[in-house]
Amino acid sequence: MERQKILFESGNELAAYAAKQINYHVMGYYPITPSTQIAEFLDLMKAEGEHDISLIAAEGEHSAAGICYGASAAGARVFNATSANGLLYALEQLPVQSGTRFPMVLNVACRTVSGPLSIKGDHSDIMYTLNTGWIILFADTPQAVYDMNLCALKIAEKVRLPVIVAFDGFFTSHQKKKCYVFEDDKTVGDFIGAYDAEYSVLDLEHPVSIGSYMNEPDTLNNKYQLHLAMEQARRVIPQVLEDYEALSGRKYPLAEGYRNEDAEVILFLLGSSYHTAKTAADRMREEGIRAGVVTLHALRPFPAKELYELCRSAVTVLAADRQDSYGAGGGNMTLELKAALKDHNSKARVLSRVYGLGGRDFYVQDALELFRQCLDGQAAAFDYLGVYPGEEDLQVQQYFAPISKEDASPGYISSRMEENGTIKVTGGRVNESTAMPKRLAPGHGACPGCGIPVNVNLLLKGIEGNVVLLFQTGCGMVVTTSYPKTAFRVPYIHNLFQNGAATLAGVVEAFRQRRKRGELPDEEITFVMVSGDGGMDIGMGSALGTALRNDHLIIFEYDNGGYMNTGYQLSYSTPKGAKSSTSHIGKEQYGKTFFHKDMPMIMAAANLPYAATAAESNPADFIKKAAKAREYASRFGTAYIKTLSACPLNWGDKPNTERRVIEAAVNCCYFPLYEIENGITTLNYDPEKRKKKIPVTDWLQLMGRTRHLAEESYSRVAEEIQTEVDRRWERLKARAEHPLL
Amino acid sequence: MDEKINLPIVNEEGCYEIRLESIGGLGANLCGKLLGELGASYLGLNASSFSSYGSEKRGSPVKAFIRWCAPDREIRISSPVEKPHILGLFHEALAGKLPVTAGVLEETKVVINSPESPETLRDDLKLYAGSVYAVDALKIAMESKSRVNMVMLGAIVKAAGFIPPERVYDLVRDTVGKKYPALLERNLEGVKRGYESAEEVHFSPDGRYEKVPYTEVQNRWGYKNAPYGGVNTRYGSTVSNDLSASREGYIPLFIQDRCINCGLCDSTCPDMVFQFVKGEYKGREAMVNKGLDYHHCKGCLRCVDVCPVNALVQGIEREHPDKKWFVRNKDLIVDHLEFEDAGANSWVTSDSYLEERRMDGGLV
Repeated sequence: MERQKILFESGNELAAYAAKQINYHVMGYYPITPSTQIAEFLDLMKAEGEHDISLIAAEGEHSAAGICYGASAAGARVFNATSANGLLYALEQLPVQSGTRFPMVLNVACRTVSGPLSIKGDHSDIMYTLNTGWIILFADTPQAVYDMNLCALKIAEKVRLPVIVAFDGFFTSHQKKKCYVFEDDKTVGDFIGAYDAEYSVLDLEHPVSIGSYMNEPDTLNNKYQLHLAMEQARRVIPQVLEDYEALSGRKYPLAEGYRNEDAEVILFLLGSSYHTAKTAADRMREEGIRAGVVTLHALRPFPAKELYELCRSAVTVLAADRQDSYGAGGGNMTLELKAALKDHNSKARVLSRVYGLGGRDFYVQDALELFRQCLDGQAAAFDYLGVYPGEEDLQVQQYFAPISKEDASPGYISSRMEENGTIKVTGGRVNESTAMPKRLAPGHGACPGCGIPVNVNLLLKGIEGNVVLLFQTGCGMVVTTSYPKTAFRVPYIHNLFQNGAATLAGVVEAFRQRRKRGELPDEEITFVMVSGDGGMDIGMGSALGTALRNDHLIIFEYDNGGYMNTGYQLSYSTPKGAKSSTSHIGKEQYGKTFFHKDMPMIMAAANLPYAATAAESNPADFIKKAAKAREYASRFGTAYIKTLSACPLNWGDKPNTERRVIEAAVNCCYFPLYEIENGITTLNYDPEKRKKKIPVTDWLQLMGRTRHLAEESYSRVAEEIQTEVDRRWERLKARAEHPLL
Repeated sequence: MDEKINLPIVNEEGCYEIRLESIGGLGANLCGKLLGELGASYLGLNASSFSSYGSEKRGSPVKAFIRWCAPDREIRISSPVEKPHILGLFHEALAGKLPVTAGVLEETKVVINSPESPETLRDDLKLYAGSVYAVDALKIAMESKSRVNMVMLGAIVKAAGFIPPERVYDLVRDTVGKKYPALLERNLEGVKRGYESAEEVHFSPDGRYEKVPYTEVQNRWGYKNAPYGGVNTRYGSTVSNDLSASREGYIPLFIQDRCINCGLCDSTCPDMVFQFVKGEYKGREAMVNKGLDYHHCKGCLRCVDVCPVNALVQGIEREHPDKKWFVRNKDLIVDHLEFEDAGANSWVTSDSYLEERRMDGGLV
């Protein structure tokens, strides 16, 4: 056995550690809980120069999968990690990877699939991948995550198929346990061996075409090849795992059992629950019941024979699924277990229970309950464990009356169209704006000093009358709608952040149609889509599509400069040089490597009727712009407003100072205030004319995330930021001065 | 490794279990991680540790769980600690609010960050029984320029009763010290003073307070009565959350005589605390600030920062138990509101950046 050392780490940390030891060429990724830490830990190690992996933060999981695919087709060793809807967003790419036979390793920290949105662990995501042609290994401990990551790449390269290493989100991804890793990275390198891709798009001497257009006879043959590769994997995986055992002393059969040899009742479950159930089996045995437990370490290829062998003595096998294949009478493991037992003429009774969805904990008592159900001859073939009906005769108490159109029209602000087609707003004084009822109720769970509710309130102060809101995923959504409560006092809908603008466009079209047909009263509604936490990265396509169609709605972006809801990973609008959990500072890295995205100009390029920036430090200007956007959305089409939104937690500043921090961003021209009406640009606030202009470092040093940029050793980065900010500011001034720009 | 450590007491799974109850930002997550590492690498035990999970937030309730067992035993359980051998309470605001004392037995050691006496704390917590260790961790942290979690770490190690203190000092040197050498001495000082100041006061089960069993949260809506699809029909229902526990000792005080009703406080408040109604100001009809609904104030003090006339000033909450300008939300249509103590749905999904920032930033 090779020398190993003890670490006390989580599954995510160990996946990252394995990747570091392998020293992959490329990791294309997009952060999503609970897999995000894998990229974070790799970035932290990269900052300290511990590996050379190119870590590419894509703008969404679909692109991340594309980066991985391209790199693997170019002969590189490739790594990725994702979860839940991120996996589903990338799903379309998975058969591309396997069908064209490029090996790579994807870690899936399993989590429940939306909606309604939950970030906790279950197996509803991973089961979507069963038909993708990927090998799927399942790790039940943090140790297994490490071990299987090392075996996965070797298996992948031997059979030329991509491999998923799946494990329980949180229970395995986040629990720290004592575990062993190889002391020397070379041990890992020697075990996996060198990789020489047979086909590479970079092989200029032997040019190949990857991704043919195929017709009917060939597709069938191609898929049969994939099938054969999977059958080859059935032989290769045990060999690799045996080799690994010789190296590490740790054994992973494809299917594993505990006290199952003579067991009458057996629980079959995946992941961390297997170990909990072992304890329950011991307790059942103390009562004289012959109880056992089985689990799998591979889902594809499915070890049907091994599973049958382990269940041989059982009178009853209960498959406990952490997901449901709705309408099938069980989750996917139930169905596969039934097929495996039938193929081997087993007479065992199979019960199916869905448990632990959305991260519901699995206690020893739960496993005992499942064993008891096995002993009950009358037990239902299929059921859910742990559901409850709720309180009988529960009266829903409302705390507020709905906000009527009249309530929301205090009349302190008004807008009208000028002869030149632009909109003029009058009124809108800050003191009078207090008359506007809050569409967002207090009691939400945003951090102290959070800018999101401040900015949403400022926007809504300027929008009189009826509103319907859509929030894309992000902190704004998470903190307001934590079930069974909601902060929204007006109609609200959430959709995942690839798709908010399109979803609201659908709402708007339904509104227009239904109003036209007399199904709804003849009343105006202002529709507002709210996005932030980097939602304009993954959701930019949808937002631009909406702007290009010119749908009648407002897109409001609260830009807090990072993916804050998942622990501050960099977004494309994070300032250059800022540290984040995917752009650490270290001897090899200075923070984020590229400039902040200029989203208002991108939206303006869609030639929408109204685009503007607003800041809470200029509240009257903010409110007026909201009123203007309302008028433009009502009359002409899409209006877009972007605001800079403070995040005390991740910006690393004091909550009470946030308005001054925002003011500094405006005064240093990092975030200038302007509006573009039908192509005509107006500067609303010129720090130069008001003698308020400050160097950009004066703003950066107000925040913990960028404070280092004011130090001498980072002066080059600070200068680059200043130059870019100046360039954008000068261009903006030129636009404002010239009607054709 | 020096001598072998034997756990003096274990549960039926062979584990010695610790639960930490805290509020986001106090470093309980890191403390839990360090306790796990202490077991695994400095006491020669097997160990696991994890935190309650959720979205990233500050000022919300958070839990951490640690399990230790003999080195040759596997830790099979990944669910929360139900009956802790040690319960660490990081914030006195947790006392008597959330069911933080669930699962406490007579042999449980309860370590609390508080300047109060163990007797007072027992009553505040309605503690069934157990050994209470009252440690003014905030004060010690401020004096030693350390952090609450370091002081609590020392106190918990002392309360355990079987851990040589040198082992935890070694741990802190190797982890915190390696990453932030400049902060090592003060953090060590915090751990040491935490260790030294933890004194046991034991309470027998005298029938004054009931045992609190550990139960999973159940909402009133279940599969029979909840609207389908997760649709929520109770608009604005977060208003019944009381977020006082999110405050860190300070509140805005309102001096109405100075107020010019400019509305800037309302424009900067993230928590819709200010209650403006139609009234008269300087003989003219105007929107007038009637006061604050403190149920929802998280103490961010943004309003104090923007108020141009010092009508809002920073105050220490303890010194203002009665606030005459405390008014309830003006839009409510119910006479009575049953508040639920809440932060948001907590907790940590990733920690590399946060841990670094918090340690570096020296937040206590």
